[in-house]
Amino acid sequence: MAIIFSLTGLILASGAACWFVKDLKAQYFISLFAAGAHLLFSFALFTGICAPQLAFLSLDPLSRLFLIVVSNVYFWVVLVSYQYLKQSTAKGSGKKYYFIFLNVYLLANSAAILSNNFAMYWVVSEMTTLSVAPLIYYLRDEESLEAMWKYLFLVSVGIAAVFIGIIFLALSATGTVVEGKQLFFTDFIRHAALLNPVWLKASFIFIFVGMSTKIGIAPMHSADVDATSTSPGPIAALMSGSLRVTALVGLMRILQIVRGTSVYEFARFIMIIGGLLSIFTAFVFIFRVRNYKRLFAYSSVEHLGLIVLGVATGGLAFIGAMYHIVYNSINKVVIFFCAGSINQKYGTVDSEKVSSLLENMPWTGWIFMFSFLAISAVPPFGIFFSELKVFEGMLFSNRPWVLFAVLFFMLFIFINMGRVVLQMLYKKDENSKVVKERERVNITHAVSLILLVMLIALALFTPNVLKSTIIDIAKDFGAAS
Amino acid sequence: MENVLSILFCLSLLYLALTSRVKHCVNVLQAQGIILAVINTLPLFHHFTLGEIILPAALLGIKGVLIPFYIRKIITDLDIKDPIEPTIQQFTFIMLVITLMSAVFVASGILAKSTEINIIPFASGFSAIITGILVIIFRKKLLVHVMGFLAMENGIFLFGSAIAFKLPVIIELGMLLDIFVVVFLMGIALNKISTTLSGFEAAQLRRLKD
Repeated sequence: MAIIFSLTGLILASGAACWFVKDLKAQYFISLFAAGAHLLFSFALFTGICAPQLAFLSLDPLSRLFLIVVSNVYFWVVLVSYQYLKQSTAKGSGKKYYFIFLNVYLLANSAAILSNNFAMYWVVSEMTTLSVAPLIYYLRDEESLEAMWKYLFLVSVGIAAVFIGIIFLALSATGTVVEGKQLFFTDFIRHAALLNPVWLKASFIFIFVGMSTKIGIAPMHSADVDATSTSPGPIAALMSGSLRVTALVGLMRILQIVRGTSVYEFARFIMIIGGLLSIFTAFVFIFRVRNYKRLFAYSSVEHLGLIVLGVATGGLAFIGAMYHIVYNSINKVVIFFCAGSINQKYGTVDSEKVSSLLENMPWTGWIFMFSFLAISAVPPFGIFFSELKVFEGMLFSNRPWVLFAVLFFMLFIFINMGRVVLQMLYKKDENSKVVKERERVNITHAVSLILLVMLIALALFTPNVLKSTIIDIAKDFGAAS
Repeated sequence: MENVLSILFCLSLLYLALTSRVKHCVNVLQAQGIILAVINTLPLFHHFTLGEIILPAALLGIKGVLIPFYIRKIITDLDIKDPIEPTIQQFTFIMLVITLMSAVFVASGILAKSTEINIIPFASGFSAIITGILVIIFRKKLLVHVMGFLAMENGIFLFGSAIAFKLPVIIELGMLLDIFVVVFLMGIALNKISTTLSGFEAAQLRRLKD
């Protein structure tokens, strides 16, 4: 228990220190220390080295996996942030508040993932939105302002819908032993069979729709796409790699409750519709998008859609979806780091205006190419193996048609994304005004390479602890025996 | 008493839908905040504990004083003028609100037969959620969207009070603080929008599209 309080205190102190210390470098080292300590703590929890007990905390396999995913993404984002900020020409006070909000973000996300209470989850989940909104507005331009407004507004309305869902969940417990008590996930899971199915169904709908605004599931994905595409590279990486994962926890919790009831089939059907619609939306928009950051934001919509589909399908697809969460979050970090660097060099997000990337930025260009191959499920990168599991699970489920639809959409997404990326890498443009100077290796390249190696190593030499945690999660969701 | 206050809350929603003055909308939100604080004070007349007075006091402070004060300041600073323009005909808007509110009351009556709920606060709360959503959809000014969102949040609080479940005071305070910070950030964003994009209407936000 002491370790939880110490870590919370450390992150709060780190945030407070960033407020008082004006030097950006000092803020960076303070935040990096807190991020490192958090990563160590998450690793200790994940491997079972420490297991603190607190009534409001949940340390089940799901929380442990999601926490290490978020902590891992956060650490690398903080590590490259100083270099990004140093090169950034953003106006205004964006840099001044950058690390303060990052610390609040870490605290809110950790609390959301570890919470064992719906109301607490709601409060901290809203806090994650509040901490990331000012970071979206980092560039202080018209686009980022519009994106921040839309994100703040739509996600807040979505979170309000989640609260309605939570009230319906409380209503579903009328006449049971859970009635009138605090809203602990564990209590609801234990007594799920006693809950009123009509209210539970209503609760699931509201929570699913509300959380969709944060997860980025179509048709509620627009604010998420706007925010990811206009925020600076590290923040886009953070949103794509960790914020969506935190939001997914809420959906997984309600699914865990619903699993033991007659509402389960209905919930799975709704999730399949949402997942398919997300992949379809990515398929439609990827034909039209010229903004490469927006292109990858739609890729996040696609991959989160696939994860939701895998979770809803169950069995092997569920296990694949859990691996996909891990790999996708790492992969998205590399992609958005590259996108951020390209944007800084070329000063545009229009893919048509980016040319000869391999010549002008060889390090970034090659990493960008490999990260594109990784996200397109080319072996030996992790996404290949996780998608294979999801697809196999879908093929042998009672809805194999879903697989054919998914494969059709994903093929065209791959072709279109490939066309844009290859054009950016190889197209020659004589009129390009980009200054041709030798690209120096920097910390972002080093981190991206580490993450790409991690993507391969985790897939080829999957640690036993990762395997067993995912199997335990699958058992909790009835997807493995 | 709770029913009387809930009906007053419902009437305030109708006024919110009817009025074309921005400042009147703030008054409505303030009245709703006070009504919510009073509703949460009622149980204390039967069983008074010092700890339980924190929530109504915080409700009154945040929803009854702080948020209305902040919104009034935004209206003055940004010089936001009347009227509140709807995107559909006002008559159609009012009819939509009344029809949906009536449907909510009828549905709540039916639901109350199978589940133990306090019909009037439950239906009033849900009506506020619907009215809030309709205000967000059918009004042009961004500040009025914020007020629609707040009416929705007020409805959720009332709606929650009609159902028996415990929330620790710290979490309820956390919720109120979250709402205040959302409104605070929206205020800052509105300020920036008015200077950067020279306007306060949703139509100004058209830069991000595919």
